[in-house]
Amino acid sequence: MMRALVIDDSRAMRRIVSGILEGLGYETQQAGHGREGLDVLGGLERDQLPELVCVDWNMPVMDGLQFVSAVRSNPAWRSMTIMMVTSESEHTQIVRALAAGAHEYVIKPFTADAIRDKLALLGLLPQEAVL
Amino acid sequence: MTTLDTGERRRGADVRPVITELIDEATVETIAQDAWIALVGEEEVLVPLPGEPVIDPLSSWVDVVGPWTGSVVLTTGRRTAEELTRALLAEHSPEVLEHEDVVDAFGEIANVVGGNVKAALPGSSGLSLPDVGDAPAPRNPEDVCRVDLLWRGETVSISVQGALPALPAH
Repeated sequence: MMRALVIDDSRAMRRIVSGILEGLGYETQQAGHGREGLDVLGGLERDQLPELVCVDWNMPVMDGLQFVSAVRSNPAWRSMTIMMVTSESEHTQIVRALAAGAHEYVIKPFTADAIRDKLALLGLLPQEAVL
Repeated sequence: MTTLDTGERRRGADVRPVITELIDEATVETIAQDAWIALVGEEEVLVPLPGEPVIDPLSSWVDVVGPWTGSVVLTTGRRTAEELTRALLAEHSPEVLEHEDVVDAFGEIANVVGGNVKAALPGSSGLSLPDVGDAPAPRNPEDVCRVDLLWRGETVSISVQGALPALPAH
């Protein structure tokens, strides 16, 4: 089963994103901010790392951009695909996230189909969701 | 050499936009409608009609800091905010809703609406984390763009309001 880590300071948003991913066949873990996300990843063996990390932009303690930079500075974590899930729809902000190492972004408000389409683009749609 | 202060530079700096020059009610309403459909539910619509005055109001808001500085404030009744939370959490909604759940969910709606309002404004701005409680009071009646809507028959108002007082008239 494919794995995803969902990082958002809003519990409601974590539940929504996790619910969509689980519906597509992902096993999910959650974290409330970037630092907590790094802690989750730090506790995993390399073969347990999630294929996908969905991370919010605007969070306390450590925001999404800082999280992306931290992940990209660790060679052991390079295999993970990072998708920003954010209400920051300004072009400059999106470019900053992509330049820092995010692979894709989805803007809140989004639909389940929008997430599915982005995952299909990234080649990260679980087999059961393709069928 | 004597330099005369013509007031030109001072007047230039004194000009700052009010929100009604930057965004209109229709745009705010569209942003809110999109947020509702995505977060609250596909069948959930906001009807652009003013409703009854809100009893026991609760607000959620985010602050925007940039060329225009102010807040995007959602206000509805506490009961309606709880109903919104249940709709947002859907099957994940706990049997007994705690205030923390309402703060989280209602705040996230303000975050999404506010983020998209910010994106519609010119220039680059910062966005705060959401807050929930008693709404900040508008400081300049001219610097407010407000829409009143109905969700499931209950009043939901969205106010995009400046944080700065009106400039003194010269």
